[in-house]
This record gives sequence, structure tokens and C-alpha cells, in this order.
Amino acid sequence: MKRAECDTALSDLPVNVLEGKVCAVTGAEYELGAGLAIGLANAGAAVALLGDARGLAKVAADLGANGASAAAVQCDFSTRAAVEEAWAIIPDVLGSPIKGVVHAWMPSVAYEVNELVAVNDEHWAEVWEGALNATRYVLQSAFAHFGDGDSEPAGGRIVVVTPTVSMSGAVGLVPYTTAIEGMRLLAKSAARQWGPDAITVNCLAPAPEQVPIGVLSMAVSLAPPALGGPGDIENDLGPIAAFLLSDAAHGLTGATLCADGGVWMAP
Amino acid sequence: MRRRRRLDGPVTTVSPVSRLAGRTAIVTGAGQGVGEGIARSLAVNGARVVIAARRFETGEPVAQAIRTLGGEAVCIVTDVTDRDSMEHCVVKTVDQFGGLEIMVHNAFRGGRPHRLEDLDDELWNQNSRTAVWGSYYSAVLAFPYLRAAGNRGRLIFITSPAGVEGSVNLPAYGPVKAAQRAMAKSLAREWGPTGITVNCVAPVAESPALVSAFDQNPTLKSRLEERTSLGRIGDPEHDIGAVASFLASDEASYVTGQTVVCDGGSFLGL
Repeated sequence: MKRAECDTALSDLPVNVLEGKVCAVTGAEYELGAGLAIGLANAGAAVALLGDARGLAKVAADLGANGASAAAVQCDFSTRAAVEEAWAIIPDVLGSPIKGVVHAWMPSVAYEVNELVAVNDEHWAEVWEGALNATRYVLQSAFAHFGDGDSEPAGGRIVVVTPTVSMSGAVGLVPYTTAIEGMRLLAKSAARQWGPDAITVNCLAPAPEQVPIGVLSMAVSLAPPALGGPGDIENDLGPIAAFLLSDAAHGLTGATLCADGGVWMAP
Repeated sequence: MRRRRRLDGPVTTVSPVSRLAGRTAIVTGAGQGVGEGIARSLAVNGARVVIAARRFETGEPVAQAIRTLGGEAVCIVTDVTDRDSMEHCVVKTVDQFGGLEIMVHNAFRGGRPHRLEDLDDELWNQNSRTAVWGSYYSAVLAFPYLRAAGNRGRLIFITSPAGVEGSVNLPAYGPVKAAQRAMAKSLAREWGPTGITVNCVAPVAESPALVSAFDQNPTLKSRLEERTSLGRIGDPEHDIGAVASFLASDEASYVTGQTVVCDGGSFLGL
């Protein structure tokens, strides 16, 4: 299929929209989170990668080798205390309080494809409760720690990554899509309550091809991607995530930006 | 003042033309409010109805009222957050009536308004267990019987407009109601080849929970009414139950994976 060529060289993009900001990224163990972290670094952010620090060390090292300020920070997403603990040390590690978050983490079992009748309660709990608890704890930690140490009002930007497959539905992915849509609405809840605190919360919805679930956009839509494909994470999705975390996006909250190459166009 | 259109002559007895005759339905949370309204409507349309309620004291009077109208109904005490209890409800229903064609999961217990930063595990679990785990149990436990019913198999989740637009006062409510919508979409795709349809109804109706909210906030009712195009709050049986009965009927056999927002024309964003 013909793909639209990017008509703007990356070097022509405003590269510094996140200059001087520290941003946290969860889920960089997978290609999607790692690519988004690179996109934020390309926009000038210092990036904290939250998760299994040993597993994330290479991503952090690669970012550092390219001139970015990056650190892998150990974070267990299963308890609020553990997420708060990880969050609290980031200013010391990267020198400034966190101003932006991209939450792309999912429990790895969520990507398993099974018909619902083959799913047991343990698996359901791992996916549904695991994903929603992690999202809740990340949001709550962000709210508690945005601007730690700043004298100015805090504010902050949060992006929750919610692939479009939760909107279209998919065979074999009831637990995963259920969890993703719950996360998307949790982001809207946060947006509605935290607007007065200058905290914006939006969702970035990439194509299903960007996560390891084996679903193609064409399987859930008659229309081919308008831009020819799901896009490149680092160079297509990265700048969108960077925009959502930038000062320029201060008037946008509670929104879902579908960045799936132009498949899902509702509403 | 805005003129409000009133319902004219609602059906209150079991119809001789019964489009759900011979079918059996379970309605969770049917001891009051929207669940009761749906149960009554399904019964009016000819279905045998199981009132799955947490307490016999609330469920049995609803079953009795349906029987008084000439319908067929029993109460089975059910805790939707407990797999064994839900399994007991489904198995007992099938034992008594010989099958199960329509599963409606309505039960929900959400709790007080709260701030997201204060949302603790207890309050989260209350929302999650009733809405999402209850939907999961409803789906997997009813599935063998819905599949046996073929093109008559129906799974219906009662969700909320808040599951699309979010809620400013109930930040846990939107996510669990949205989760039900996504579950319905994926299940609709997964179960489509069996003929089972899976849909959601997102109502605004005068339930005990809403009436209680009206008591606490005297301006809420008028603000809600003003927001609706039809200028009134929905009736659990005649407005919401009617939509659920339609989705349960043969007329809706080509409708699946959908959310019918049944709120008098308030949220128009789908």
C-alpha cells in the first residue's frame, strides 16, 4: 500500500517544545513506549523511564548516547506507595520536577489473545485490575508531585496511551480492550477534576499495529489507513505526544487524539 | 417554563402479543430502579424473568408484582461480585425454566462523590466489582446457554452516558461504565458467529439513586431536565425497559456492539 511520505524533515520541526522539562514515560519496555520516549527526548525533554530499571537500562543508555538526559527508575505499578516512591526520586535523578507524563504501561499478560470463555478470574484480574490500578496510581502520583520543589503553581500534562482497538473492539481481546477503555475514561475523569489545577489529561490512540496484540487496522475497519499505514512511533507519534506535553497544548484536555494513520475517524 | 411531554397510557399488563414469549431473562439488580423497570418490561413482553437481587426483601416484591400482572417471575438472591453466587443464579434459572436467552447485567454500587486523588482501593473495588466483574461473570456464565439459544441469545449491559463523557463528581464511575462498553464491542465481535448479540443501554432514569441525589441537591432535577431535549427524566420501565426489551427481541437481531444512549436527548455525542 502506498504510504504518505513525511513532507517535513524532522530537523525542520520545532525541536525544543519540551526543552527544560522533565517527563516520565511508563511502558518503555515495549516498542511503543520506547519510541514515544525517544520522541520526547527529540523534543528536548529529559526523560525518566519508569518500570523495571534493569530492563529499561538499555533504552536509557541509547537515549543518553544520542545526547538526551535520561534515567531508568525502578517502579512497581502494583501499589500506590511504590509508584509514589518512584515518582518522588525523579527530581533528584534528573534535576527538576516532573512536568509531563506519558503512561503507556500495560501488564504484559494483557497482550495475550484468548476468547473470553478461555479466560480465568486470575487473568481477568491481572489485566483489568492491573491496568486500571497502575493508571490510577500514576495519575494520583502525578497530581501529588507535579511541580515538587517549584515556587510557581504546579500544573502539568498527562497523556494516557489508549490504542484505538478499545473503540473498535476485537476478537480475543475482551480483557485488553475493556481495560484500555477504562483507562481512557479514567483520563477523562482526571481531566474534568484537575482542570482548575492547570493539569491537562489527554489520550493518544495509536493503531493496533503499535502494540503486540496481532490485530491489524484493516481487521476492524473497511477503510484503509488514509496515510497508508500506522505510522512510525518515534517520528510520527512522538511529535504528537510531545505537543500534548508542551505549553502549546494548555487549552486541550479530556481529548483523545487518534493517531492511527487515519482509520478511526469517529466522532 | 418549558413544556414537558408526558407519557400517554403506558402498558401495565402482560400483552397478549408477546414478542419475548417462551424466553427466559435474568436481570441483575432488579430489586429496584432501572433493573426493576427492565424486568417489568421484559415480563410485559412475555419473558419469564428472574429477579436477581442482593436481598430477597427487595427482589421478591418485584417478582410478586409481575406475577400479579399475569407474568412469570421468581427472585433469586444473587451477589454479582461473587462467581459462585452468579453461577448459582444462572444454573438455578436454567433448572427452573429450561434455558436462558436474555442476560441483563444492571446491578451497580458506586458510592459517594469523591476526588480522584482520594480514590482508594475500597471505593475503586466497589465500582469495579459490581460493574466490571459482574459483567464478566454475566458473560462467561451465561454464554453456554446464550449460545444454545442461537439467534435469540442476548447479553445486555446497563452502562451510562458517563461511560462516554466522564463524570466530574464520580471519577471511578466513568471508567467502569466505559469498560462495559468496550467489553460489549469485543464480545459482539467474538460471539457474532453464534448469533448472540451484545449491546449496552446508557440510561438516565428516575432510579432510587437519582432520587436520593435529587434530595441532596434540590436543583439537580431541574438542571437534568433542562439538559434533556425531551425535558424530563426517563421512566425505568416505559422508557428504559422498553429499549432493553427491543434489544432482547427478534427485531434487534442485527444490532450488536452498540450503546443505546437512552437519556431523553441529553448527551448527543456518539
